[in-house]
This record gives sequence, structure tokens and C-alpha cells, in this order.
Amino acid sequence: MNTDPHDLELIDLLDRVAAQDHVALKALYDRCASKLFGLALRVVGNREWAEDVLQESFLSIWRSAGDYRASLSPPMAWLGLIVRSRGLDFLRRRTTSRSHLTQELDDGMAETLEGNSPCPMDTAQASEQAMALHQCLGRLDNRQREVVSLAYIRDLSHSELSLQLKLPLGTVKTWIRRGLDQLRQCMSHFA
Amino acid sequence: MNLINHPQRLEHLTSAYALGSLRGGARRRFEALAREHASVRAAALVWQTRLAGMNELQALSVPDPAVWIRIHNVLEGEKEAAIVRSQRGAALPPTDAQGFFGEWLRSLLLWRGAAAAGALATVLAVVTGLNLRAELGVEVQALQAKLLATPQIQYVAVLADDKSAASILVTFDANSQKLTLQRVGTYQEAGDKSLQLWALPSAGGPRSLGVLGHDPLLRLTAGSGDIREVPTLAVSLEPKGGVPSAGGPTGPVLFTGTLIQKML
Repeated sequence: MNTDPHDLELIDLLDRVAAQDHVALKALYDRCASKLFGLALRVVGNREWAEDVLQESFLSIWRSAGDYRASLSPPMAWLGLIVRSRGLDFLRRRTTSRSHLTQELDDGMAETLEGNSPCPMDTAQASEQAMALHQCLGRLDNRQREVVSLAYIRDLSHSELSLQLKLPLGTVKTWIRRGLDQLRQCMSHFA
Repeated sequence: MNLINHPQRLEHLTSAYALGSLRGGARRRFEALAREHASVRAAALVWQTRLAGMNELQALSVPDPAVWIRIHNVLEGEKEAAIVRSQRGAALPPTDAQGFFGEWLRSLLLWRGAAAAGALATVLAVVTGLNLRAELGVEVQALQAKLLATPQIQYVAVLADDKSAASILVTFDANSQKLTLQRVGTYQEAGDKSLQLWALPSAGGPRSLGVLGHDPLLRLTAGSGDIREVPTLAVSLEPKGGVPSAGGPTGPVLFTGTLIQKML
């Protein structure tokens, strides 16, 4: 049973936002903006775009908070899905020119792919299901984890990943397959 | 190969589907299978839920405070547009005194509902007064709503002529040190004249704050010191280009109004 006080607080705020309570939206923003901005930044890769995504996300939240309860999700999971999909929409709109495919890697990401620095994961405000994933991702080696994480967060295919990360296609496929295999084994303990 | 009989292979495809790396024909075949078998749908949902945790594991980063202001402004703009729409719908030209009163009452009720802040009673009184001038009412209300809604605006004045008809709305944003003037009346000075805005401090003579162009919206820069402790603003009719501040207004004062500090 979910009695996490933070979750209950966010659920209460989402209910009030669904009733078009501006004060509740601000309170929700104050509690979640940094977490969600971090995600937006990771999806689109630069602060200016991420700010647009955060803005669009909160307007979506304002309009669709009434659907939250039916999702049966922990609040941060639901909010995260909105931000990721607004972020992907944003990239798709820009991709008429396919510009993000040739876009340079973010610095942090390039370092992680060197294979020696740990992936900057942050469990602050994460739901229980995210904590489980975090544990399992922790067992992957850094490069595998980064490729799996990037594939999901940016919705990239093998060939797009290979292009963005400047890695051979075969390597990307192998890392993803092994990464998913390990996640499957590990996650089954939490099922 | 019948995937349903190969649970390991199916599990692999399900996780790749949820990750997004399953593409093209393989993805379409998986989707067809899921439509057919509830167990495949359920497994896909489990994997989507698991991987969605990725969204919650990204490093925190503090967004620029301007983002919230932008969100706030969009929502206020929508609220305001809704008010104006319902006002327009209700604002048929009054044909007799009773119709006029009815309209006034409706817009008053709407306004009360929208404003919901007792501290703004002063401004409300101004607004309901302005409603008596039917052709200006809607427009002025929309502007007032905007003035009240935008967080940076700290001072508001409605400059009116000698018949109390609103002619110019003035707002001052202390953060950006910008005075914004919006013409709302029909007054138009002759081509060889200019309107000049003056601060009338309680002590000392009038100080010029700037000269108005012919545009409906005008922005001037002013220090907080020029605005604070100024109870009244006035607009005079001057020769084109205005007159030096030191000598004070030389032409007739057309509009005056009290500067109200916004309480929210």
C-alpha cells in the first residue's frame, strides 16, 4: 500500500490541479520542476529547449491532471512520462531537418561513454519502481547502462544511437541486447 | 516461430519493444501479437512501467525562474481570454436603461468571480465605474485583468479626462523599471502636438516621465525613485516633442489619475 507522504502530497496537488487550482499548480511546480527539468534536459540536450519542454509539460499537466488517477501510476512516474513525451515531440518537430541526429553529444554523456565515470543517476523523489530499476541499472557496466538509458530517454533506434554515439552498429546492438538481458534477470526479482 | 510458446524469446521482444529499440516489421508483428493476446499486452505494460522509471532517475537541474513566469502568463492569458469571450457574448449594445443595467450587473458578477481578491476592492471600484461606459468596458476589463494578473506589475494608474472617462492605463514594473502606457480612449492629439506624462510628487513640482508617441502602446524607462511616493500622474498637451521637465507642463492637463500600489 502506498503511504509515501511525498506521493500522497503530490497526488493531492494533482487532484487540486485537476480542479483548476492555480496555487496547487505552483506548489507542484515548486516540488517537481528541478527533477522534471533534469529529465527534459536529458531528452533534448540543451537548457533552452529543455525550458520550452518544461513549460509545455506544465501546460499539459494543467490540462490533463484529471486523467492522472486513471493511470494508476505513482505521481512522479506519470509526470515523468508527460515530460519525456513533450520532449520527444519537441525533438520530432525539429527533426524535419534531422538536426538532432548530427547534434554533438552532451559533455556528460561523452564522459560516461569513456566507461570510467559512473552514470549520473539520481534517486531523489524516485518512486519504488524507479528505485528497483536503479538497482538493476547499477549492475550494468557504465557504457551499457548509458546506451540503454539513452535509447529509452531519447527513443533512439540502433542506427540512430550508432550515429549519435559514433559507435559501430554491431556494438550498439550487442550492448543493448546484453543490457536488456541483465535487466530482465534482475527486474524479475522485483516482480 | 510461435512466440507464445517461446516465453524467453517473447520476454526479450517485449523488453525491446518497451525500450523502443524494436523497430520496423518486428515492431509491427509484436503489436499484432499483443492485440491478439492479453498476456502479451500485460507483459508489454509491465516493461513499459519498469522502464518508465528511467524518467525518474535523471540528475536534478534547477530551471531558470523565467520558466514559471512564462507558464503563469500563458495560463493568465487563457483565463483572461475566457473572461473577454464571455463578456463579448453578453455585451450586446444596450437599448434601454434596464438592458444597460442588466449588462452591467452581469459583467460585474463575472468580474467578481474572476478577481476573487478582496484586497483589490479599489481597482474593482474603478473597473465597475468604467463599465458604465459600455463601449470601453470590455476592453478596459481585459486590460485590468491583465494588469492584475501579471506578477511584476507593482503600480497601476488609470488616467481619466475631466468627464472621468478612462483614457490611458499606466503600469509600472519595478523589476524592469518599465512604465507601460496603453491608450484606451479615443483621444488623438493633433499632428503638431505631443502628450507628455508627468509625475506629481506630494512635495516639489511636476517631473516629466516622458513623451507619448502615437502608438497605442508605449514603454518608457523610469527609476523606482521616480514612481515611489508619487500619488498622482498627469498627461498634458504640449508642442510636438514635449517640453523640458524643469519648467513643468506648459499646455492644458488632459488626464490625471492616482497611482495605486498593487497589493498581490
